[in-house]
Amino acid sequence: MMILVMGGSGSGKSAYAEQCMIDIAGEKQKYYLATMQLRDPETRAKAEKHRRARKGKGFLTIEQPRSVRLVLEQVEGNAVLLECMSNLTANEMFGEGGLPQPWETVAETIVRDMEALNGRAAALVVVTNNVFEDGVLYEETTRAYQKALGSINERLAAMADRVVEVVAGIPLLIKG
Amino acid sequence: MKLVIGGFAQGKLNYVLQDSSLDAWVVLDGTLAGGVPQGKRVVVNHLHQWIRECLRDGADPEKEILAFVERNPQCVLISDEIGNGIVPLDAFEREYRERTGRILIRLAGLAEEVVRVICGIGQKIK
Repeated sequence: MMILVMGGSGSGKSAYAEQCMIDIAGEKQKYYLATMQLRDPETRAKAEKHRRARKGKGFLTIEQPRSVRLVLEQVEGNAVLLECMSNLTANEMFGEGGLPQPWETVAETIVRDMEALNGRAAALVVVTNNVFEDGVLYEETTRAYQKALGSINERLAAMADRVVEVVAGIPLLIKG
Repeated sequence: MKLVIGGFAQGKLNYVLQDSSLDAWVVLDGTLAGGVPQGKRVVVNHLHQWIRECLRDGADPEKEILAFVERNPQCVLISDEIGNGIVPLDAFEREYRERTGRILIRLAGLAEEVVRVICGIGQKIK
């Protein structure tokens, strides 16, 4: 079972995704795959806020800002909530320093990792972001990032059994 | 209370006003201040702009909007969806985006009806 949860900033997608995970995990161990790189007080505060919200819900947190394939053995047969795809994509694209990776390569790598993860996890919930509707035409690098995430979202939605968009805390069923 | 959300220039106000005859409504634009004559329902347009001003002034938008809804239980609140984009570089813009999202969740929870407008068409999502 794979569920893709999409939403904008402050849409309530995290709380919804956690509830989905709890609903479908059954007796399996729940892993929270955290992809945000903690590099300043703001990101650390954000991670802490999410950690507090998850407290007592039985999640084991794995910090994995890139290369999701490295956790396959650890989470084998268990339930995984990955939050979130927009950070993972940014880290894969810009994380090595120097020039950003081409967006096609980034999308391909991530989709392959996610196919493997979906094959090994008993249940998978993926949180992704809507970064496509602010009407701003960004410069080339940011547009490449949007293309990567858009392509990943499209392919994850095809893989997923259910796709849900969260708007003002209200889940809207897109697929499934 | 009814909440109407959607992207920029999607026809949200028109959608609300076509619901009833024009003179039954008082429209406040980007503000919560203004008298509401007896028997008229109040529409607050551009609620997101009001939230932004509040944050700029260091005020507490959550508290003020909840009090407003309590005083005007029949009101219609219209806000742009501003969360569906790239994380802004500026810290105030990030705060504005996140707080607006959280306020909309709060209001959606209280509302009897939530409508999302795209291309002038309303989808009732609650």
